[in-house]
Amino acid sequence: MNFKEESDFTVNSSSLKEIRNFARELFEKVEELNDYKEELVLALAEAAQNVVKHAYKNQPTDDLMKVLINYQDKTLNIELFDKGTAAIPENIKPRNLDDVKAGGLGTFFIGQIMDEVVFKTSKIDWVNHLILIKKF
Amino acid sequence: MAYKVTEENNISTVYLNGEIDMDVTDTAKEAILPLIEAGKEVHINLKDVEYMDSSGISVLIESHQKATELGTKVTLKEISKSVLKVIMMAKLEQILNLE
Repeated sequence: MNFKEESDFTVNSSSLKEIRNFARELFEKVEELNDYKEELVLALAEAAQNVVKHAYKNQPTDDLMKVLINYQDKTLNIELFDKGTAAIPENIKPRNLDDVKAGGLGTFFIGQIMDEVVFKTSKIDWVNHLILIKKF
Repeated sequence: MAYKVTEENNISTVYLNGEIDMDVTDTAKEAILPLIEAGKEVHINLKDVEYMDSSGISVLIESHQKATELGTKVTLKEISKSVLKVIMMAKLEQILNLE
């Protein structure tokens, strides 16, 4: 089963639960995605959290972020668009796990769960465009 | 997320439940850290936590480190399957006290 769904969410921490629920409902429709549902939801939620924390620095805003989930031919693309401060991909690195400290684990989790992470900054109407890819 | 705290034999147990993300980490910290700062041994019961992200993991790390610094102890009890998976993904099972 293939599908493509998108939805907009306000950029704030209260939206994270809505984003997770949006994704869970979609992943539950497909058996192979359902088996990895919670990991995939975590990867998306960590990416959305990074938008709130880093692209908007936890500042209140009316801006929206867009989540697009596309599953075609056993490849899942989770795309996240926002209008916050442009990310510098070279500066986004997973934390060294030997350095035990609070914070910085989100990017590591995304890398563990997904096969590929692509940053784009040239999308018209948006500033940041993140694509998380997993093949099944 | 909601929580409750019980006291027995000088051990405070914080029962967390629901989904723990950055929206509720301040509440979780407010429940846990004052107990550690008061020098109490703290158990954090995670039986009813259905979801935890990196923000929640950060609360567990901060609690553990604060307790070590102050000469007391934080133990994670009855960890739900979903939380254990995230703890293991972060390779923290040898660092945090799990029971």
